Amino acid sequence: MRDPLNIEQTSRTPAVVFDYPNNHLKLSGESYPEDATEFYRPVFNALDEYLGSLGEGRCRFDFELIYLNSSSAKAVMMLMDKLEDAAKNGADVDVYWFYDNDDDTMQELGEEFGEELESAVFHLEKMAG
Amino acid sequence: MPSDDLFAAEGKVIVEAQKLLDDGRFADIGDRTLYEGLLKDYQKLLRTTRRLMRLSDRNEEQLNALSKEQKEANTVIAKHNKELDALATKLSKYLSPQIYHSIFTGAQNVEIASSRKKLTIFFSDIMNFTETTDRLESEDLTNLLNRYLTEMTNIALEYGATIDKYIGDAIMVFFGDPQSKGVKEDACACVRMALAMLRRLSELHTEWLELGATEPFHLRMGINTGYVTVGNFGGDERMDYTIIGSCVNATARLEFHADTDSILIGHETYALVKDEVDVEEREPIKVKGFAEPVRCYKVLGLYEDLEREGSVIREEQDGFKLLLDLKKRERAEAIEALQAIIERLKQ
Repeated sequence: MRDPLNIEQTSRTPAVVFDYPNNHLKLSGESYPEDATEFYRPVFNALDEYLGSLGEGRCRFDFELIYLNSSSAKAVMMLMDKLEDAAKNGADVDVYWFYDNDDDTMQELGEEFGEELESAVFHLEKMAG
Repeated sequence: MPSDDLFAAEGKVIVEAQKLLDDGRFADIGDRTLYEGLLKDYQKLLRTTRRLMRLSDRNEEQLNALSKEQKEANTVIAKHNKELDALATKLSKYLSPQIYHSIFTGAQNVEIASSRKKLTIFFSDIMNFTETTDRLESEDLTNLLNRYLTEMTNIALEYGATIDKYIGDAIMVFFGDPQSKGVKEDACACVRMALAMLRRLSELHTEWLELGATEPFHLRMGINTGYVTVGNFGGDERMDYTIIGSCVNATARLEFHADTDSILIGHETYALVKDEVDVEEREPIKVKGFAEPVRCYKVLGLYEDLEREGSVIREEQDGFKLLLDLKKRERAEAIEALQAIIERLKQ
């Protein structure tokens, strides 16, 4: 069994927790890394590897982002493309987009991202608390 | 310009591309599929570009709003700091500058704490102040007393004293805390300060008489050196940075027994300043808390001043020390004594 991916949150980068046994993947916090490509490369690789072996299995991906810059937004779209492709290939994929209650920007961004998903099921929800 | 206008050209490309597909211009199904895929990717790329641009604009807007808030907060902080500075300046007038400085630089904590130190203490008092000023109007009395205290305070600060308190017209200061130049230097500075105060007082006499005082003021001063407990005394709500100990009481007694416009110093101070200060020993005085009467000395002046006046001759070299006080010994007697010494040297 592959090791779970666990990247701790910093002031500029989000926490990444890929809990493979429970098929629950999560990205949370703020995202404005100095080098977005460098930060997201291992995340993309891990997701590719995971989804490649998921087949028609079920998985859930949570986005709990408070702030993200343009580079990170592009990276998030790429993650969603990968999830959408997996769903097209038969996987049962749920994408959750959590936004802070007062944050219209993140809510609208989530709505727009959700419009791109056809096979994966998109859920737009307020953050708890 | 509406954001859609920014992408008008791209929109036109999509419309025309879609028209090509709808018109059935592709005979080859493979070419058509490839073209459809390209158009779909182009549409998606355009959506992505729009989203990123919108996000970027919103982020920039938020940053500008935060920057504005920060500027406003800085203005409020600057205003509060200014008010605090003004308040601190007002408060500083209730504290000795050294104490204020040591508290505001964090060198000293504002807490109930004390330490034992050897200090030189000074007391002064205007003789018969109440009787002298009895017929003055309140405003005149206030002006007169404040003028006196201001002048004396300036001199005290100039010589490095820590002002402990004013009690009506009485002044209590000490040397050696929170800053000290050494016990001996502190004691000398204190005596020099007292002499400077006496000089200034004589200059103020004329001014006071013009203000309406019926007769000139006269001072008494006492100086003593010894161990005292120095620190914050009081409660958490109100405390004083002051000194306590039998030496403080003894200084007050020395002041009480001093002659008009003169300085009476204790034996320990005398031992520290005797190379610089000419004195005349007085009858010991009884002080509560001291088993034996306290030896005391009246300050006659600084040797350097007396030398300038010609009443003292001093000569000091390695292995040779001469002090001739012509106020205490006749000139002829002095010459005779010196000649006797010269004769002994010749033998």
